[in-house]
Formats: sequence, structure tokens, C-alpha cells
Amino acid sequence: MTRRTVSAGALVMAAALALAGCGGSDSGESGPELSVGAAYMPQPVSDSMAAGFLVVTNKGGDGDRLTSVTSDVAGEVTLHTTSGQAMSEADGLDVPAGGRLVLESGGDHLMFEKLKRRPKEGDRVSLELHFTKSGPIDVEMPVKSATYRPAASTKSHH
Amino acid sequence: MRKKTYAVAALLTAAALTLSACGSGDDSGNAVAEVSAETGSDRAATVLDKPFEKPDLVLTDTHGKEYDLREQTAGRPTLIYFGYTNCPDVCPLTMNNIAVAKKQLDRDKRLSQAEKDSLRIVFVTTDPERDTPSALGKWLKGIDPDAVGLTGSFATIQAGARTLGISIEAPKKEKDGKVVSMHGTQVIAFNPKTDGGYVLYGEDATVDDYTEDLPELIRGEKP
Repeated sequence: MTRRTVSAGALVMAAALALAGCGGSDSGESGPELSVGAAYMPQPVSDSMAAGFLVVTNKGGDGDRLTSVTSDVAGEVTLHTTSGQAMSEADGLDVPAGGRLVLESGGDHLMFEKLKRRPKEGDRVSLELHFTKSGPIDVEMPVKSATYRPAASTKSHH
Repeated sequence: MRKKTYAVAALLTAAALTLSACGSGDDSGNAVAEVSAETGSDRAATVLDKPFEKPDLVLTDTHGKEYDLREQTAGRPTLIYFGYTNCPDVCPLTMNNIAVAKKQLDRDKRLSQAEKDSLRIVFVTTDPERDTPSALGKWLKGIDPDAVGLTGSFATIQAGARTLGISIEAPKKEKDGKVVSMHGTQVIAFNPKTDGGYVLYGEDATVDDYTEDLPELIRGEKP
């Protein structure tokens, strides 16, 4: 009797999963599913510019694209890609389906210009990220020391 | 052990993704690949078998005065980095790493004050048009007011960098008027005993790397 109950339970669960899983694809609404983490700004040297880093994770089945960023602290926030020793401004940065957009020191990053104040370690900077498909995402970015490095392990985790 | 834990977690994640994705099974491959992407970090310092000769650079410092690199830094432990001040990420990080490490020397009991004072940190701009002496001075004040900031003609700076194996191109103006500059990828430490550039640090060098190595570099020893 007990065994039967268990297997029946399993069957029900499997059915539920199948239902839940396929409901999404039936309606074709998988879409991007974004979340933002690991955000920080190293305390900038002067009040003229600052950099910012974060990771956008997309658990959805559809890609998206970060197109612009606004912040309370800067007159202008631009997206930058780094190739080798030079960086250049980008119109947008892709967040692949089931993947991540990683903005990290030495790589792609946000550049804050026309700063309204010089962010200090311990401050928080407010950002709004804008995407092609998903709605805007608000991010509270902590200001860390000028030499802050996220733990190496963050690169391999989600 | 850690690796094993990741593998199990990855497997679980992959399984979870397969269940929830329903039909987009190709995505789960990404999640597994990511976990093993991290590589171990090597030591930051590279000691050269054949040291670089100190470049014969005569430039302008942050006070607008002529600065002869060889003359001014002869017999002194010297760190040289090529970058520019309109650089939000790597340039300030590199200079701050060195500056913070230098500050921590104050607590070092093994070195005399004279030894600590002998250290020279030299920042040579790769964007001399925008990095005037005063712009350099303002920027370095926020990092280490004692650091030497040098500017001059780009051709001179480029040639000096080249003798150290550092390749930089002149800043370029994009269509929208923004200037794209390049920074060097390495910090070079010069030996006070020989004036040869004998240790290289890449961009991954941290405050701790410099803090650990500065006492040796100041004494012209191998870190």
C-alpha cells in the first residue's frame, strides 16, 4: 500500500511538472527572465568619472539586450566594451538566453560621466537598466574601495 | 573537493533547467560549461631573466617642469605604468593598488624610513593631449600625491613604452567626438641596484600582491 502511494505521488508530481513546463511553451511566452547581481562601483579617483560593474543573468529562453542605463549620480552613463587595451562605447550589450552579461573590471563596464557628486566608499548609487524586451530594472549599486575586487569565485557562480 | 562540489551542483542545475525549460534542452549545456570556466590564479609578479633598460624619457611633470626619468630615478626603486586619466577602470585600479600597497609600507618594520622614501611611482600618460600637467596632477592627487605624473609628445612616450615591450597607439577620435585611448597592460619595477626593469605585473595584480612584494622591490631583491 505504502509503495503504491509513493509511486502515485511521483506520478502526480511528474504530471504537474509536465503541465507547468509545457504551459509556457504552448503560449510561446518564455521570454527573457532577467535578474541583476554582483553590482559595485569602485570609489572613483575624481568627480569626473567612475566605473560600474554588475552581472545580468537571464534564466529565460529568449535573449535580451541592455540598451541604456540612467543613474541619480551621473549626467550620463554609457556602456563600454574593452578589447585588449582600448575601450569603446557600445550601443547595447546582449544578455543571451540562459546566459549572462558580465560587466567586470578589465572587461565590459558601465562608465559614469558628468558626476553630480563624487561617490564615496559606503555610498549607494541608484541605477535604472533599460532593455530591449524586458521592463527596466532598478539596481542599488554599493560603492566599494578603489581597489575592491569581487571574490574570484563570483565569476564561476550564478 | 571544491571542484567536485561544483560538478554535483552543476548536474543538479542542469537537471533543474531541463525540467523547467521543457523543450529548450540546448540551454542546459551553457550552465555546465560556465562552472568549469574559472582558472586558478598564478603569482602576479614575473621576474625577467633579461631586464629592460630604463627608457631614456625626458618629459614634463605635474608641476610643468622637465623630468629626466633616468636622472631622477637613478638608484631608486621605481614602478612605471602607462595609462590615461580618462580611463574609468583599469588605470585607476592599477595606480590605486600600488598607492594603497605603498601606504601599507608605513607599518613595515623591516624597512627604514629612507628605504620607504626611496620608492618612486611613475605614471606616464598615453593620452598627452588631454592629460596636461595639471590634469595629471589633479588625478594623481586622488591616488597618491607623491606619485610622479609625466606627459609630453605622444611619439616620445610611445617610443619609451616600446623599449619596455609595451605597445600603445595614439588616442583616436570616434565619429561622435569621443576619444578612445589605450593603456599599457603592465607595471614594470626597476631595480635600485641596477636600474634595470626586472619585474613585471599584469592587470590582475592586486593590492595584496604589491603589498607583499614592495619590500623586496625596494631592496632590489626578487619578489
